[in-house]
Amino acid sequence: MIEVKNVTQSYGRFADRDILKDVSLTVREKSITALVGANGAGKSTLLGVMTNLVPARQGVVTLDGVDIRKIKTAEVSKKVAFLKQTQQLSVKITVKDLVEYGRFPHCGGRLRTADKLKVEEALSYMNLADIKNSYLDEISGGQRQRAFIAMILAQDTPYIFLDEPLNNLDIRYSVEMMKVVYRLVSELGKTVVVVLHDINFAAAYANHIVAMKDGEIVKEGSPDEIITTEVLNPVFDHDFHITCCEGKSVCLYYDKASKRCAI
Amino acid sequence: MVQRSLVQKPLPDSTPKKFLTTNLNRRFVLVFTTLTLLIVASIAMYIYSRTFANAFRLGVPMTPTAFNSILGRTIPHLVAMVSSAILLAVVSLSFQTITQSRVLTPSMIGFDSVFVGTQTALVFFLGAQHAFFADPIVNYFLTSGIMVAISVFMFGAILRSSRNNIVFLLMFGLVLSGIVNSGASYLQIIMNESDFFQVAAATSVNINNIAVNIVWVALPILVIVVFAITWRHRRFNVMSLGPEQAKSLGVHYERELKLNLFLIALGMSAATALIGPLTFLGLLAVNAAREILKTHKHLPLFVGSAMMAVLALVLGQGVMELLQGAIPVTAIINLVGGSYIFYLILKENRI
Repeated sequence: MIEVKNVTQSYGRFADRDILKDVSLTVREKSITALVGANGAGKSTLLGVMTNLVPARQGVVTLDGVDIRKIKTAEVSKKVAFLKQTQQLSVKITVKDLVEYGRFPHCGGRLRTADKLKVEEALSYMNLADIKNSYLDEISGGQRQRAFIAMILAQDTPYIFLDEPLNNLDIRYSVEMMKVVYRLVSELGKTVVVVLHDINFAAAYANHIVAMKDGEIVKEGSPDEIITTEVLNPVFDHDFHITCCEGKSVCLYYDKASKRCAI
Repeated sequence: MVQRSLVQKPLPDSTPKKFLTTNLNRRFVLVFTTLTLLIVASIAMYIYSRTFANAFRLGVPMTPTAFNSILGRTIPHLVAMVSSAILLAVVSLSFQTITQSRVLTPSMIGFDSVFVGTQTALVFFLGAQHAFFADPIVNYFLTSGIMVAISVFMFGAILRSSRNNIVFLLMFGLVLSGIVNSGASYLQIIMNESDFFQVAAATSVNINNIAVNIVWVALPILVIVVFAITWRHRRFNVMSLGPEQAKSLGVHYERELKLNLFLIALGMSAATALIGPLTFLGLLAVNAAREILKTHKHLPLFVGSAMMAVLALVLGQGVMELLQGAIPVTAIINLVGGSYIFYLILKENRI
């Protein structure tokens, strides 16, 4: 169980603006929580605080009731996995090597049979068994993203935090990615917190949406509660047109003046 | 936190994996064997060029007594060269991993100017007779202490305030060596003549003028630094994924960063005091090892680049001694290394 209690965060010694202002949040177990909001709303910072990559300055984040700052980094990494947006690595590395690094928290880099088994499982779960000896810079963006997810699966943590996993992915790979995230929750019982820019992806796949603005949580709730003009318009400072398609709320966020975009 | 297994039955192990690992292992064995043989040969050539080649040139017979006496003077040189080369390679690879760059070496931050500046300031303010300058061991500890302090402060301040801003680090090093160099020249101009000659003698340490009197003091430090860094090779593997990913995988990144910067500064100060500045040796060795070994794993890379550095230095020095200094080895290393860094910058299009 991960709980954020009254966290206030600012960068730099003389920062007059708080990135997070008195944020409290309880992460829902075994479901997808999406953080949405405009640029600079503090979504990534909140993710950093929850994973202890950026330790909280004021307030506390607890992992199973214990202050996460007091838990050793190596122990946190057995419970919490974090993945940045699609990244370009400076090293030439194969898919399998990357996934093997996921076992680092458990074996310190010395892979035993059990670790190798986990790696193989993660590779086949992500359909990467055929390309496991390919280098990361030689495969497609979608495959690369799957390789990173496989690494996190090998890390074998109950909590997974994804920071803008859909960045630089085209529509097909984005959908594929969100399906994978959905399976992580439905099949493997993981708890996923994900920062999403596209609210329609949040509406379609998340169980719980947290809308943030200027370092504060404006509202959290189910997609139906959040995907409303009353909530979204002030959060994004934009006029939304919300419609219903196949039982799900869909946001149209194009300029209303160009009528061709509206349905 | 109960979790179901990902898949009930793991896939039967496929053959391509075995094939690849044996293939890689075969490459490692081949490369390491070849390098070992080449290193042994170049050490033999180095010793030969200092003993038999010299005797032949002077037209005197090489007696066992003379051989032993020359060997006794050659071994500290060899130890200094081999240990410094290993250190430069290991430290360069570690620096490249923590800065996420293939083009940087810690030598570029300007250790030699700090070394020269310290010696000049010591003589100017305390006099050439003071133990801080005159006693080689005391002088060594003082100089390397100052170099470690400056570089830890510099790396620490820069990496903390602007996360991994490499351009800033390079600029800072450039400006620092500029200031220290001109300050040192100024002091050297206004100091008296005998002091100046003392400083000139102390700061002309280079590969042809190894400070053999501190070999046995610097050696333990070099060995400790090399082992402390290579021992962390698994952590380096994970750190090569970048700070965030390394932290998420349980590496205490800030602590590792500080520790490594301290080790790098300690080792660099020892190597600079011992054999003088060799800006491009580490860079050349690490990248050559990367190209030949075709791996990103740090253990083979540490071993491979250390061997490359030893080979380049001892072979170059052996050839130089054989040709009676016709080609200075530092000139060759800097020429090849400099061209190679141009190539790397152009190829990667970034620093």
